[in-house]
Amino acid sequence: MEYKADMRDMKFQLFEWLPTTKLLEAERYAEWDEENISMVLDEALKIAQEQLAPTNVDGDRIGAQYADGKVTLPESFKPAYQTLCEGGWVGITTNPEFGGMGLPEVVGSAVNEFFFGANMALSLHVLLTRGAGSMIENFGTDEMKQLFVEKLYSGEWGGTMCLTEPQAGSDVGAVKTKAVKQDDGRYLISGEKIFITSGDHDLCDNIIHLVLARVPGAPPGTKGISLFVVPKFRVNPDGSLGEPNDVYTAGIEEKMGIHGSPTCSLVFGQNDACEGFLLGEENRGMKLMFHMMNAARIEVGLQGGALAGAAHQAALAYAKERLQSRHWTKFADKTAPQVPIIEHPDVRRMLMWSKAYTEAIRALLLITSYYIDMTHVTEGEEQERYQSYVNVMTPICKAWGSHWGMLVTNTALEVFGGYGYTAEYPAEQYMRDCKIACIYEGTNGIQALDFVARKLPMKGGKPVMELMGMAEKTFKKLKDDPQFMEPAWMLAGALKTMQTISKELQKRPDGMLITLLDAFPMLDMVGTILGAHFLLEQAAIAKQKLGAIFESKGVDPKDEDASKKLLEDDADAAFYHDKVQTAIHFCYRALPLVSAHAAAIRAGELAPMHAVMR
Amino acid sequence: MNCIVCMTHVPDTASIIKIGPDGKHIDESGIKWIVSPYDEYALEAALQLVEAQGGEVTVVCYGPARAEAGLRECLARGAHKAVHVVGGEETLGDSMAIAKVLAAAVKDREYDVVLCGVKGVGTDNSQVPQMLAELLDLPHVTNVTKLDVAEGTFTAEREVEGGVEVVESPLPAVVAATKGLNEPRYASLKGIMAAKRKPVEKVEVSALGLDEAALAGAEATYSVRALELPPAKEAGKVIQGEDDPKAAAAELARLLRDEAKVI
Repeated sequence: MEYKADMRDMKFQLFEWLPTTKLLEAERYAEWDEENISMVLDEALKIAQEQLAPTNVDGDRIGAQYADGKVTLPESFKPAYQTLCEGGWVGITTNPEFGGMGLPEVVGSAVNEFFFGANMALSLHVLLTRGAGSMIENFGTDEMKQLFVEKLYSGEWGGTMCLTEPQAGSDVGAVKTKAVKQDDGRYLISGEKIFITSGDHDLCDNIIHLVLARVPGAPPGTKGISLFVVPKFRVNPDGSLGEPNDVYTAGIEEKMGIHGSPTCSLVFGQNDACEGFLLGEENRGMKLMFHMMNAARIEVGLQGGALAGAAHQAALAYAKERLQSRHWTKFADKTAPQVPIIEHPDVRRMLMWSKAYTEAIRALLLITSYYIDMTHVTEGEEQERYQSYVNVMTPICKAWGSHWGMLVTNTALEVFGGYGYTAEYPAEQYMRDCKIACIYEGTNGIQALDFVARKLPMKGGKPVMELMGMAEKTFKKLKDDPQFMEPAWMLAGALKTMQTISKELQKRPDGMLITLLDAFPMLDMVGTILGAHFLLEQAAIAKQKLGAIFESKGVDPKDEDASKKLLEDDADAAFYHDKVQTAIHFCYRALPLVSAHAAAIRAGELAPMHAVMR
Repeated sequence: MNCIVCMTHVPDTASIIKIGPDGKHIDESGIKWIVSPYDEYALEAALQLVEAQGGEVTVVCYGPARAEAGLRECLARGAHKAVHVVGGEETLGDSMAIAKVLAAAVKDREYDVVLCGVKGVGTDNSQVPQMLAELLDLPHVTNVTKLDVAEGTFTAEREVEGGVEVVESPLPAVVAATKGLNEPRYASLKGIMAAKRKPVEKVEVSALGLDEAALAGAEATYSVRALELPPAKEAGKVIQGEDDPKAAAAELARLLRDEAKVI
């Protein structure tokens, strides 16, 4: 399967929009500059295209196979995974003290967009492995760190997070898996986990599970959950592999997509011989787990954006090649030749819409990653401020990124017409693979609840207000520019609507019910406002650079023919021109959703609660 | 075992080529530049030799300022140092001029083997390795798909019409690599990080005792009169045959015979 990515936009967002170059001046990133980061991006895309993408179809058609308690992955996954390990890509953003590469998160996210877009199933192994390593690095004992972290960051061993049980899905507090402390400090783990991504496979020699379990007498709910490191094979003090640790793979799920990623049912301790090591303190596991879950939630949002990008690029390429029907200006002329479908206004609208959402999701993910980096290079109040942005953005990244990413894959499929629905073209796989991003790592409904219940009211609503304040600044900057005036005012209107709703909901007697009912629409409102703000900010930069190109080439923008020729001949000019159009399109087509959601919320529409639903 | 790899920086093979305003050069705006793919085989062979037998890999490039990015890429893949002879815009495509510059840049360095790609995908001339070998007074083997190096000697397999020729030669020598010799590695993140600190020695053509203006002028062996894009592909002809397949088949046979002249 061919994978295409918009490298130009990626580099624009990293280096022309975000202050990544400035970030790289920090001591922490002394080894990196714009030039070698650019090389990192080029190499990552090359690996994505040459190693990961060609195996994506194997992942889908052959998929993970289960037999006799063992999971095998397509043969072609192994060399591709090996390439990622050898190049240091598994530990790209991790601590160099443990063999990590220490790159900024914002670069890691850019690279991961390529990897997820090229092969989401395979790249999931990497996400979990890196995450498990980071958990042990942050919360493990020195001995644990020494035994596990480097092996995880290098990809030699795999990692998982084991939360879900049949009765404990979104309700994690209902976990029943038991952990009983032994005299030597180890715990014996017993219980069943389901939906464990990468729970078993043959890419690595060992798998390190992070397992949520209860110690005897633990309080009910999430306050009685502890976290354990449970290897598939026991690890000797010298780091070599010992005997199997009584972790049995009972089966894998048949799924809609990501067939190359085994979703396992694991049985721990069926022979009472499964040892685990406590991470942190007893009954404090849930808090620690959020460290990995928050990172994973951002990466799941990234998956939505990555597959949106892959699907959009595929649709764009197809639309330029596929000939159907006459040009709309010649519709009455039956002898006129067929034209590429990209000439049809309806197709152009679908492509523009997909591009706009793809770039808005990319912006959301990159800026959140940039905020994470800023928490690493700042201190005190400033650091707290960036951390509060990350906290607010995390559920938006996850839910808004996956929700609209999924819908972009849907629209991209439609560009292919009937062929999009067939397995001959990649669109349907992108759509199937993308759906899971809306669900796992906490469904988008759970994300929305986290957003309205925890993140909106955080610190008296200050972080959200500050983020909205940045959008307000964009409005003020652009409100007098004729080209952006109307989109800018639409943004201002959306901001005002959001403020009004927040105030009203605090006073209304049905405020709590409305908030629960409309949590996702409210998250969508904030996501949409941020999306418009990011794209307008980018468009303002693009407009300036476009003007400079016109000037340097001596072309008068009012001269239509000369302008058209310049946009045809100059790739940069075309890119900046389209950035401007993209932002305008997003404002007109996405921002009205804010007032649409608001109308229902303000009216207190409660039909879903009144309905009998029998 | 010290290896020198000659590298040329070329437009990405997926680039859309446009002719520049002078009609003799391509328009370089919007072009992505890459290490010529055949040079990647040469570099990989050198890296493997050095990994097995010790020594250093030096990459040499004769090209304009932008070519430094290509050298950094080679350093990221594992080459130890790089030499950048800055220039080459005016001598572009002149294999002899390029070979003279490379020979002058290479001759006083320590090496056991000079590896080149069999051709640069920019101008596709396939002459530089042989000319370079003659100028350095070294044996050369081109189109190499297998290379075994022993003490002071090597065996190479080269592709020839309908078969494989096995060549033995003493070292030092010039070897031109082609597809099939190896699978070039990717740069690792560690490699990319390290490349920043590796030396790129900048050399002026004049410092090699050569006059670039003369190479491009009086001594030139090659000149470009004009560049043209290949003619645009004409739309295919569709013979409607649903109503009368027999007539359609006859028409197809006629077109193949009379117009395409293939039968």
